[in-house]
Amino acid sequence: MIKRWHAVAAAALVIAAVALYVVSRSTAAEPVNLTTTGSRYTATVLIADPAPGQVTVEIKVSKGDADTVALSAVMAEMGHSTPEISATMREPGRFVAVGELFPMSGVWELSIRLDGPAGEEQLAVKTLITE
Amino acid sequence: MIRVLCLAAVLVLALAAPAAAHTVTAGTDLRIAQTIAGAEVTVVVKGTTRVPGPLRIGVIAYQPVSGLPIGLEVRSVEDGRTVTGTAQAAANPQYTQLQVERTGPHELKLSAGNETAVIPFRVLVERDSAGAFLIYGGLFVAAVLLVGGLLTGATARPGRAMALAAGAAAGVTVAAMVIVFESQVPAPPPDGAAPAPAPTTSTAEGRPYVQARMETVPAQPEAGEEFTLRVDLVDGSTGRPVDDLTAHHEALAHVVVTSEDGRYFRHVHPLRTAPGHLEVRLSAGRPGRYLAHAELERENSGGQLVAADFTVGGPAKASAESGTVTESGKTGAPATQAGTTVTPRLQPAVPIAGRPTTIDLDTPAGVRTWLGMTGHLLIRGQDGRFFGHVHEMGAPGSRVRFTFSFPEPGRYLAWVQYATADRIVTVPFTVNVTAPEAK
Repeated sequence: MIKRWHAVAAAALVIAAVALYVVSRSTAAEPVNLTTTGSRYTATVLIADPAPGQVTVEIKVSKGDADTVALSAVMAEMGHSTPEISATMREPGRFVAVGELFPMSGVWELSIRLDGPAGEEQLAVKTLITE
Repeated sequence: MIRVLCLAAVLVLALAAPAAAHTVTAGTDLRIAQTIAGAEVTVVVKGTTRVPGPLRIGVIAYQPVSGLPIGLEVRSVEDGRTVTGTAQAAANPQYTQLQVERTGPHELKLSAGNETAVIPFRVLVERDSAGAFLIYGGLFVAAVLLVGGLLTGATARPGRAMALAAGAAAGVTVAAMVIVFESQVPAPPPDGAAPAPAPTTSTAEGRPYVQARMETVPAQPEAGEEFTLRVDLVDGSTGRPVDDLTAHHEALAHVVVTSEDGRYFRHVHPLRTAPGHLEVRLSAGRPGRYLAHAELERENSGGQLVAADFTVGGPAKASAESGTVTESGKTGAPATQAGTTVTPRLQPAVPIAGRPTTIDLDTPAGVRTWLGMTGHLLIRGQDGRFFGHVHEMGAPGSRVRFTFSFPEPGRYLAWVQYATADRIVTVPFTVNVTAPEAK
């Protein structure tokens, strides 16, 4: 009989844990994976560990032959902007930039300046950066 | 047996997650006033309850237009997918249905005549809250366990039946507690919403000021010739184009252009041609100095007013103004009909600076809402250094009523605007305001 009550208590704990997980997962910082399409290029921004400070940003260009990709960021709320960082081409269509793009937490607009034979285009994605 | 049921409960809870989008609600309509192809229209984008789903777009005309076709192009900024259609501007428009495949940032491109506007917007679809998931999950578990309890009880195993009944009670308790406390848990943002910090972490209120440059193309327009008034907006802190204007009072910007003497008046809604760039086409019949006042509002900020002036050259074009106080032009607000003798009533009759003045104006029946309000009162100081925009306060009967405290003594030019079934009526008048001690 006592064992059964233990089992019920365990079940209640499991349910409580699942409930907590469901409630808390909406607030957890998740990797950034955003795609934006302009008239010349399509770029996907991947940030595995988005946080204030040094970040590694991967840009995948799936439409248009981009030769160079440069990143900068603006926090419209506070009027902050960060210097432009040039991304290094790892392979055609895949660029990686490392630098301090987000000095503080908040909503940042990441500008992606792409250049190639098709011409220059500036795309942007918005992302929430949290501590 | 119990282990199997516990596992079943966990699986039910875990597997229910992908179905979180089964209850969806429509987003809010987007309404944007535009002055395009010489017509004053309001573009309405009706929210969708699902994606892929229908996006309905209509163009409301506020003046007689004989089948003004407006080209529509909706583009997802994420994947670049584009759908096109055509809308006919009308007082009670037919809505054109376009299919959207996803939530998130989109652009609506409007084309009419040889003018184009690009309006950014987001397609949002409400998604289920974690609370609703727990409520239904808890009740579902309770139901499963109660049935199990009954079956176990029927096979004369009181211990197991009690355990299952206790499990059911736990499920009901979870559901009930979530029902009670759900209102205190913030709802999740709709699918496709712009990223935003949690309300508690937001310390900043308002955004940096806008630096605006207003200029005409050509630099000095000729009387009677069409020209473009350009408004270029730059963020005062970053130097970047300002592209976060909200649709305040149903427009990205309200631009009022008046001649120095006030005989020319236009209240127009420029088209966004590119990030930070707004344009509207105008023409003025008389040479002289003109004033432009633009009201706009950035996201999470208050309204801002920017002002500029320009000069129209060349000889006057007599046909453009024929005795009416405001001009009858093809662009912007139509003129008041010649012979309109309606005059506003002021209370007090001679307004005193710094004290509220009430302005009443009789209107015909059937006044309809324009720019979210029944009536608009635009006020300019004689010298153009003061500009005000007052809204109607919901007066009963066929009239509009405004209350405004004129800040300084002096002469003011004022225009009341309201929309009837087929036009926008503009009633100009002047107000002489006295100093308090001169009473």
